[in-house]
Amino acid sequence: MLTCQGLSENATAYMEGALPPMKRLGAWTHLRICPACRRYLRQLRLVIGLTRHATHEPPPDMIEEKLMLAFRQKKGGGTE
Amino acid sequence: MSRADLALAQRLKAGDAEAFRGLVRAQHNRLIRIAAVLTQSAATAEEVVQDAWLVVIQRVDAYEGRAPLSAWIAGIVINKARDRAQRDGKMISFDAMAETEVEGPALAPERFAPDGHWADGMPAWETVTPERLVGDRQMLQKVLAALDSLPPAQRLAVLLRDVEGLEAVEVCRQLGISDGNLRVLLHRARNRLREAADQELRIR
Repeated sequence: MLTCQGLSENATAYMEGALPPMKRLGAWTHLRICPACRRYLRQLRLVIGLTRHATHEPPPDMIEEKLMLAFRQKKGGGTE
Repeated sequence: MSRADLALAQRLKAGDAEAFRGLVRAQHNRLIRIAAVLTQSAATAEEVVQDAWLVVIQRVDAYEGRAPLSAWIAGIVINKARDRAQRDGKMISFDAMAETEVEGPALAPERFAPDGHWADGMPAWETVTPERLVGDRQMLQKVLAALDSLPPAQRLAVLLRDVEGLEAVEVCRQLGISDGNLRVLLHRARNRLREAADQELRIR
């Protein structure tokens, strides 16, 4: 029977779909009966989304405008 | 691939400047973080990413939607950064780096009771929903600080796989690491980020 420690060690492989079938079944079975590990897995997933949002910071205006200029030159005005 | 990404690419192809601005705002600093690991220089990273945007502008017509647009752009940055690192004699072996970053267990043994259960259960994060978290500036800063303090190979693994959405096999190919090593890096990194978020919630 898989322990919480064992589940935690396999958590990323489980999320990435990389566990062989028997281990996957073991993890799935453990998760069905263990609310603490369900919370742990949910938190790992939440943190991935958080990291995505945390890194969403605009660049300095000067750089943004430089890139916008390059875009407009290449695309010749476009639909703006 | 997603319909939203194809639609966005279509707007870029048509010369929609505001679509491009949105992309730059979302991705520029993320891409700097990626290039900084690969070139080991913040100044070089800025140059590399600006060059990469020019390539994106030139080549967006060729984007077919096989990967998320963010992953396609990150791929261009990786190529540019690796070329530059090679020219500067700064190529990194991520396989060797991964080995040194993953010694010891990802979670401290004290986290577990002798019977293998979590020693202190698991905090519920009851009030935490994805919607609430993304507006929580203090939390986002805490997570960002944790990301920036990760060892470089772990940071890069998270940025490419979790943030830009590259397929695992693509990350392995680009960095020259095994899929097992990638998972170990991701596992450590995600656990560290989770710990940082957990600490932030505990002090409230």
